[in-house]
Amino acid sequence: MSKWFDKEKNRRERLEFVRFWANYVKTHSDQEWSKQQKELIDSQL
Amino acid sequence: MTKNSFISKNHLNFNNTPEHMEFLDKHTIKLDKVLNKLDKFVLDFVKILKKYSDYVIISGYVSILFGRSRATEGIDLLVPKMNKKTFLKLFHDLNKKFECINSSKPDELYNDYLLNNNAIRFSYRDKPIPNIEFKFAKTTMDYEALKQKLYVKMGSRELIISSLELQIAFKEEVLGSEKDIEDALHIRTVFEKNLNKNKLEHYKKILKNE
Repeated sequence: MSKWFDKEKNRRERLEFVRFWANYVKTHSDQEWSKQQKELIDSQL
Repeated sequence: MTKNSFISKNHLNFNNTPEHMEFLDKHTIKLDKVLNKLDKFVLDFVKILKKYSDYVIISGYVSILFGRSRATEGIDLLVPKMNKKTFLKLFHDLNKKFECINSSKPDELYNDYLLNNNAIRFSYRDKPIPNIEFKFAKTTMDYEALKQKLYVKMGSRELIISSLELQIAFKEEVLGSEKDIEDALHIRTVFEKNLNKNKLEHYKKILKNE
């Protein structure tokens, strides 16, 4: 482990957010999550 | 959710609504999403492609279609091997709106790229991102993807994707980058109740041993 950055911790936190967001998608209407996704994707393209 | 999670469960609404994605039957998913630029681009492309060929969308865009919070520059798409005459017709039809990044010569694309199992990329004219990575099916798993397809209905529009179990298995066993593991986790979580666990294990076993 680098003393500057804990890669494993970062990986775990990323996976935790992926799980959180997937649960959000699962439990909210398609319109609700997709509006947020559209903002993210359209701003990147 | 882990014990020390920084994420509160208060953000989650556990009342499923009628507008939520759902399986209409074994092979069809209904999706009521607000289309983003990537979705519109893919729909635009397959509107032309489906006049000439069967197809299936694979890899990253599948998880994005179902809500993954990321964009991509390329959308992977498989088609069964087609003859040159059909490819030329497809190319000329696509050429009205799209261009091929690799070459503007359809003969070269067919002979030098596609027949040699190389992908070619199509994008809107003068706009290389996003693009469709178009290739002929080659491996047993490519043909399995074309066989085990899922229809995603979005109002009057439709996209064809490969089976979710195959997507997960391929991402976890073959690709394996952080991004792929996250894509697989997204699909696993969203479709937790719909996945065929035996089918998933079967694909993982085959891919592991190949």
